[in-house]
Amino acid sequence: MKQYISNIYSALITVFIGMKITFKHLFTPAVTIQYPDVRVALPGRVRNRLYVNMDDCIGCDQCARACPVSCIAIETVKSLPGEDLGKTSNGKKKALWVTKFDIDIAKCCYCQLCVFPCPTECIYMTDVYEFSEFEREKLVYSFTTLSKNEAIEKKQNFEKFEAEKAAQKAAPKPPAPETPSTNPQ
Amino acid sequence: MIIFEYLADLFGAIPAAFISGILPIAFVVPYALFAVYWERKVSAHMQDRLGPMRTGWHGYLQTIADILKLIQKEDIVATAVDKPLFNLAPILVFAGSYAAFAAIPFSSAYIGANVDLGMLYIIAVSGLVVAGILMAGWASNNKYSLIGAVRSAAQIVSYEIPTVIVILTLFSIVGTLNLYELSEIQSSNIFNWMIFGGNVIGWKKIVLIPLMFAAFIIIYLTTLAEVNRTPFDIPEAESELVAGYHTEYSGMKFAMFFLAEYANMFAVSAIVATLFLGGYHSPFGYLGNLLGISWLVPVEQFFWFTFKGLGFVTVQMWLRWTLPRLRVDQLMTVCWKYLIPLSFVIFLLVSLLMVL
Amino acid sequence: MNLYDIIFYLFAAVTLVSATFVVFTKNVIYAAYNLLLTLFGIAGLYILLGADFIGIVQLIIYVGGILILLLFGVMLTNKITDVQIKTGVLQVIPASVAVGMLAGILILIMTNMSWRDFGLSTPDKTIGGLGTLLMNEYIIIFELLGMLLLIALIGAANIARK
Repeated sequence: MKQYISNIYSALITVFIGMKITFKHLFTPAVTIQYPDVRVALPGRVRNRLYVNMDDCIGCDQCARACPVSCIAIETVKSLPGEDLGKTSNGKKKALWVTKFDIDIAKCCYCQLCVFPCPTECIYMTDVYEFSEFEREKLVYSFTTLSKNEAIEKKQNFEKFEAEKAAQKAAPKPPAPETPSTNPQ
Repeated sequence: MIIFEYLADLFGAIPAAFISGILPIAFVVPYALFAVYWERKVSAHMQDRLGPMRTGWHGYLQTIADILKLIQKEDIVATAVDKPLFNLAPILVFAGSYAAFAAIPFSSAYIGANVDLGMLYIIAVSGLVVAGILMAGWASNNKYSLIGAVRSAAQIVSYEIPTVIVILTLFSIVGTLNLYELSEIQSSNIFNWMIFGGNVIGWKKIVLIPLMFAAFIIIYLTTLAEVNRTPFDIPEAESELVAGYHTEYSGMKFAMFFLAEYANMFAVSAIVATLFLGGYHSPFGYLGNLLGISWLVPVEQFFWFTFKGLGFVTVQMWLRWTLPRLRVDQLMTVCWKYLIPLSFVIFLLVSLLMVL
Repeated sequence: MNLYDIIFYLFAAVTLVSATFVVFTKNVIYAAYNLLLTLFGIAGLYILLGADFIGIVQLIIYVGGILILLLFGVMLTNKITDVQIKTGVLQVIPASVAVGMLAGILILIMTNMSWRDFGLSTPDKTIGGLGTLLMNEYIIIFELLGMLLLIALIGAANIARK
């Protein structure tokens, strides 16, 4: 009987204690963040979408080789001797036309391994994290500054140059060549 | 009452009866829309969330959007179900819960049917809900549905006993089963409410008050169990039974169940309020009487009625987000070992007191 | 034919049609739900006759209690033990003789009885008078019925314990 009454008492009391707790929570501010309107501040070294600053890129292909999932695809064409491609911001001379610099961000695993080998620090991770797309093809980002036609043109230029050089080699005595004999690389 | 007479003057007695029969649905549907929204908000804030925020200011259009979605949904009827019963069950459940509104006085100006056995009638039609739930569970041809329905029926049938005994206690004090008369007995003063012993006077009232409080708690718990709300929601226990007896339902039929559940929540809250907390009566007196505007009084009474009803619905929600679900054996223990003996003790004591 | 008659025929039709279904359907669950309708119709007839207490008690006891119990039993056995419970026709001749005799007696009583005729009037409060009658004139029957139910309850508990 004593047990019975104490059961009733504890049942009632515990219900009221629980109700008190939930009542308190009714007035504590919500932890929900209204996402698109309010965003959480990201930490300083977040790793999100990759970005390549093509002004600084020398087309050395080191980032593509470092990538564990091969999401970076680079194609380069040698520049012709007369062309000046300018310098990178840390003083390196650019010698290659980067005709293709594609990053398939859908494959990217955000390991940041591509960032460290870069000699000019031109590839880095930004804090942009909203880049969903409806088509998978759109997740392949092309960073090259050359347009398609330009890239083809550069390729053809180089091929023509190579062909000329081969022809020069084949012909024993060329007349005065305009191009300097020293060939970069 | 007054509304019925007014309508009878306007259209004649029979159309007036039909119109005043439809009036509660004009209350129940907007109420259900609000209550679903309210439940989501209350539950969210109790869990430190915000709840719906996007559709309209603080999400107030959320339920309307939900209803639109439910209307557009395909009405899926699985091949193995028993089609006639499957289609009939939601209607029966809603009819049962809506029929209870007929005998509830919304204000002194409106009661669906001023029948002499109002409370008994409500208990009788709530049996229809059980039949509908069993029908839904069986016709779905799904083990979860069947288990949910059987649990629900067992629970409702068991918890009906303490409810009826508490009601009996109450009516041994006031001597009427008519909810309208009961409400009128509790008029004019907060201490005339049944929870404070009703219109009994003298030392008996002081003895009655603790008994009435206990009876109030018992009937609140049992009505909670009768509408299958947490902590007594084992018929719909999501974690074990998917959704209980409405697992197989979708679209508008599911909406019917939903509407019936919320209508039922309000019906039992309103009954508890009518039985113990003065029904539609204001605790403070009426502004209409003070200003001498007679039509204002029923409006105020309607306000107090909905206020009390919604208050109890809110407490139901509050309990839902506070307490965990009881196990089946615990549920039966609570009913048969605690609530029924206690209600009998209260009934005996009160009867003794009234005879003295 | 006034409104009262229309309502009476409505309830009578519901009762009769559903009762026919109860007899002729092969599915036990359908029979049970048609029985619900039958009981409902009878309750309606009671209320129409001014016996509101009887009507409501009919609903509480038969629909809310006995029918639910019946459905409960049928559902549990039918689905869980995988036995198809169907009704069939057995013993046609003795059954039709018995039913015919019963029907004959009923019709005989119906036609020969001198029915009392009450005017249409709104019924008074029935429950008070009923209570007084039960507690005064029929108190012994009332108590005996209570005893009977108690004995049945104890017997059921005793069987369940074994």
